[in-house]
Amino acid sequence: MGHPNVGKSVFFNRLTGAKVFESNYPGTTVDFMKGWMRLGGEDVELIDVPGTFSLEPKDKAEEVAVKMLTENKDSVVVCVLDASKVERGLYLALEIIERGYPVVVALNMWDVAEDKNIRIDVEKLERILGVPVVPTTAISGEGFKELVSKLKEARPAKIEEIIERAGAGKEGGGESAAVSG
Amino acid sequence: MQVKKGVVKVPLSVDERWDLIEKITKQTVEFGAYKHTLKDAIAELTVKPLTGIPVAIAVLYGFWSFFCDFAGTLFTDGFMVKIFDEHWLPWLQSVFPGGLGDPLYALMVDAGHLENGVLVPSDNCFEAFGVLTSGLFVPFGVVLWAVLAFYLVFAFLEDIGYLPRLAVLVDTVLHKIGLHGYAIVPTFLSLGCNVPGVMATRVLETRKQRFLMITLLGIFIPCGAQIGIMQDLVPELMGWIFLTLAIGYLGFGYILNKIVPGESPEIIMDVPPYRMPALRNIARKLWIRTSRFLLVAVPFVLLGCLIVGLMYLTGAMDWLASVLGPLLMVWFGVPKEAVAPLIAGFLRKDLAVGVLGGLMERGVMTHFQVFTSVVLLSIYFPCLATFALMLKEENWKEFLGSLASLVVVVFVYGGLIHLVGLMLGVA
Repeated sequence: MGHPNVGKSVFFNRLTGAKVFESNYPGTTVDFMKGWMRLGGEDVELIDVPGTFSLEPKDKAEEVAVKMLTENKDSVVVCVLDASKVERGLYLALEIIERGYPVVVALNMWDVAEDKNIRIDVEKLERILGVPVVPTTAISGEGFKELVSKLKEARPAKIEEIIERAGAGKEGGGESAAVSG
Repeated sequence: MQVKKGVVKVPLSVDERWDLIEKITKQTVEFGAYKHTLKDAIAELTVKPLTGIPVAIAVLYGFWSFFCDFAGTLFTDGFMVKIFDEHWLPWLQSVFPGGLGDPLYALMVDAGHLENGVLVPSDNCFEAFGVLTSGLFVPFGVVLWAVLAFYLVFAFLEDIGYLPRLAVLVDTVLHKIGLHGYAIVPTFLSLGCNVPGVMATRVLETRKQRFLMITLLGIFIPCGAQIGIMQDLVPELMGWIFLTLAIGYLGFGYILNKIVPGESPEIIMDVPPYRMPALRNIARKLWIRTSRFLLVAVPFVLLGCLIVGLMYLTGAMDWLASVLGPLLMVWFGVPKEAVAPLIAGFLRKDLAVGVLGGLMERGVMTHFQVFTSVVLLSIYFPCLATFALMLKEENWKEFLGSLASLVVVVFVYGGLIHLVGLMLGVA
């Protein structure tokens, strides 16, 4: 899952060897597509869905995405974020985490973020969110090995704990004591 | 935000979520000084109207020139017409059993045509209209190259990221017809094939927008296969044909927008950065789209050839022509023979233009009648594949609405074109 034009279809094609259309404009994918990938010796089904800004669909393509999510209650969700627009992507990721899905976050377009001089503390983000976070550049394939290996570590996270951790690290120990109290 | 353990309500409210995101990103994301690069400068130039419009015109003109030169001049005229008309057709005419006048020969190779009461053989693959002649010439001699050329350039525009910029540029104009600039994406896709064009309307927000878009696409946007063969047949008329279709698209869009209830809200669209297209991806898309064309279109063209041939042989075509002739002649100003391409158009538009080409080669139609027929072919009925998809994507009410709009547009616009022709003295 992810916003339009963050590269979900590129992920899908790379992981499954399928041939879904990839383009550089939002709304390339308007329907879902299923494919298979090998993961640790077993075949795993992967679903490519249209981009959506949130879980409250605004158009038919987004409806398809949200429907696929709700229909596949026990799936692992790869949240693809545009690393140069983390805030927006996190909104959708948090929504999905709140619904209790095990999540892996991919910070895609890492190269674009680097070009724009945006630095992201991946480890800290991982610690706060409590789910694996992997920087990727889907077009060139960077970060994919790590992403695939982290799929097994995908886990649901408690939003209360995320809030706590986000608050705790904010401005040193004093604040954190106040927050947890 | 005051956070107390145990009082967090899931799901969070929108504001709570944004608060949390701010907290998270404050600690993890650092925005360095941003340098304005050459890429940004180009990106801006292609979006600002003053520079963007000339760029858009240049891009579209380049697209069109490539399309004509590569598909039309180089492949079709340079190789395919020679192969089909000078070798394939004469060879088949000499070896296929039966000969002129035989029904199977007429269906498969050449129906021939009457000249001063004598049945004479055809000398090109537009006229012959057999399954093995026109049926193969249309898809492999003409349309394949058009499809290839179109999708090659289109894939580049897609992958570079130009389409959203074009969308920003045409936003103001398209708002007048109740659509958003993003509608340029389905429209452009439809110029390749209406089927993915109609699919792409799924990103439009309201039912009204989708209805308007699907209806306008189905009526006014000719597909790449059709454009390819039109360009081969009547290159000198292409400007007028596109102008007529564009006026219709905008004009009827404006009227439909006024009478269809519902909203056309703003869509906030992301304009992605320009990217270097990956050749691998372009090659893959080109391959998928071309093979899809071959798989879907070729059987339909062959089948259509067979049906049209059978209708001629059995006299059904003549009967239809005499029944519909008066309407066609009086209202649209085209001869009764035009009924044949209109029938073929139900199956495939490229085939229909091919049938028309045969009539034109035989001198049955005047230039203006060819023009009118080509426009009528574009607007009167989407091909079977598009029709089926419209049924799937629209609800019954919308589907009937699209059909009703189609009938009205064909009669009003078709009649209007005839009227203008009469007034200008060319009809």
